[in-house]
Amino acid sequence: MSFNNQTLDHLKKLCKLECSPEEDQNILESLTRILEYITQLDGIDTDNVKPCRYVLQGMMKNQMRDDEVKDLLSREQFLANAPDQIGGMIRVPPVMKNP
Amino acid sequence: MKRLHHLSALELRNAFLNGEVKAVEIADFFLKRIQKNNKPLGAFLSILESRALFKAEALDKKRAQNKPLGKMAGVPIAIKDNMHISGEITTCASHFLNNYKAPFDATVSRLLEEEDAILIGKTNLDEFAMGSSNENSAYFPAHNPWNLKCVPGGSSGGSSAAVSARLALIATGSDTGGSIRQPAGFCGIVGYKPTYGRVSRYGLVAFASSLDQIGPMTATVADAALTMEVIGRYCPHDATSLDLPAESYPLSPELEPGTVIGVPWQFLQDLQPEMKANFMASVDAMKQLGAHVVDIDLEVLKYSIAVYYILATAEASTNLARFDGIRYGVRSKNAKNLDEIYEFSRQEGFGREVKKRIMLGTYVLSSGYQDAYYKKAQKVRTLMVEAFEKAFAICDTIMMPVAPSGAFEHRSFHDPLQMYLQDIFTIPANLAGLPAISVPSGYDKRNMPLGVQFIGPQLCDVSVLQYAYAYEQSTKHTQIPPNYV
Repeated sequence: MSFNNQTLDHLKKLCKLECSPEEDQNILESLTRILEYITQLDGIDTDNVKPCRYVLQGMMKNQMRDDEVKDLLSREQFLANAPDQIGGMIRVPPVMKNP
Repeated sequence: MKRLHHLSALELRNAFLNGEVKAVEIADFFLKRIQKNNKPLGAFLSILESRALFKAEALDKKRAQNKPLGKMAGVPIAIKDNMHISGEITTCASHFLNNYKAPFDATVSRLLEEEDAILIGKTNLDEFAMGSSNENSAYFPAHNPWNLKCVPGGSSGGSSAAVSARLALIATGSDTGGSIRQPAGFCGIVGYKPTYGRVSRYGLVAFASSLDQIGPMTATVADAALTMEVIGRYCPHDATSLDLPAESYPLSPELEPGTVIGVPWQFLQDLQPEMKANFMASVDAMKQLGAHVVDIDLEVLKYSIAVYYILATAEASTNLARFDGIRYGVRSKNAKNLDEIYEFSRQEGFGREVKKRIMLGTYVLSSGYQDAYYKKAQKVRTLMVEAFEKAFAICDTIMMPVAPSGAFEHRSFHDPLQMYLQDIFTIPANLAGLPAISVPSGYDKRNMPLGVQFIGPQLCDVSVLQYAYAYEQSTKHTQIPPNYV
């Protein structure tokens, strides 16, 4: 397994995250070290082991509820934290181009 | 009466209920302590002065009118700044959330305030609770009240520094891989991580949802038990909240006859001599109380850090996808289109450690690698849950140190992996969903506090607090740091 600049560029696209060249270098070095460390798991026999998806096996149950509309947060409260807004809505740059 | 900061939360509450002190005097006293000490300690990111005084006045009025008062009446409590208090700023110690005003209460904040606590401030942390030293706070690092050159631990380092220096008598923490217990150990206080799901995570900004658990950080075990009575409740807003009745936590200085303590000696074989001596003394103290000690096999725990850094970062990478610069938080001024809003806002808003963990998490979940990393780690996690189940078939509680050393100095670790390895003794309880507590166990040669952990089977929160209480009462290691007496 190799982890290089190309992998890093691919990851940055996947998680929508830009980094400075200095950060890139630092992240590349750290991740290489960490990935090397976690290869220690390779040697463990897990052939007949189920993955742990919920840790309290005895307590697992679906928490179902009726799909009711509730008044939890007003438009005003919600928009109070929006970085940009217009006419009671959040404003973003155009996402579609004119034909 | 003793000076207010020399009282436990329980004692202070009773003093208020008996009319020995007014709530306004309490709020005023602790606000002054914070103002005097916060600059060198860096414990608080915000001080809720008007909220605290408003609540205190209301409490005094309630008392004068003989109205019923709550279990936390008059107790000054600090909230870690990754938990919401409606109308107050929640930063998660990240520039991404510089001005984020919480539109609702975390269940924990609500329950504490309903029981008449005085919420006094929001405490510092590693950005988004990612770190073990508080050095990853985007604002300023917190410092250890026992020696300002040392870290207070992390990620709940502001909370541990605040309680250790008695700027508040209780603080909330969140624990994903030891973020309550390790800072508690480093600062000489009690830190309790309950069974996964015992305390609602509603209103806690998520880091790794299958591991995160909120708990109390206090001066005494009795105060941790008191806090659990208030916050250990089922909450319909958190799908993983345990639908069980709230517990009461009776505490006795004596151990039940026949108590068996398990110690994973093989797993602890690399302990430094000083740490080993301290730990052995703690085990001996429990033997003196009548406990029988057995050796248990938890060899699989040596893989804890590898498993943790796969699962925690995978979950973090998905949880932190919501920080997109659209609905809240910072939006980059340099962005010209939608993609750039995401990419630049995240670049400018997140610190280096957060970016690193998002990248690692994205990698272990990415196509072609998911089975080799993520699924493999989930399977090894199953082996750990099973190993603990087997161990608890022959013992009632497990003792372990909190960390491989006492608090280290700032900037001690340049290699992140070396820093991660410091969490080897705390991560296992998160991976297996177990209740675990850190209790002061003495001091090292530098006079820095050390801690010991008691870990119990899932859902056995009551007995873990009981073992910790018996230990605390027989050893009495807790002290206020010299400069804050």
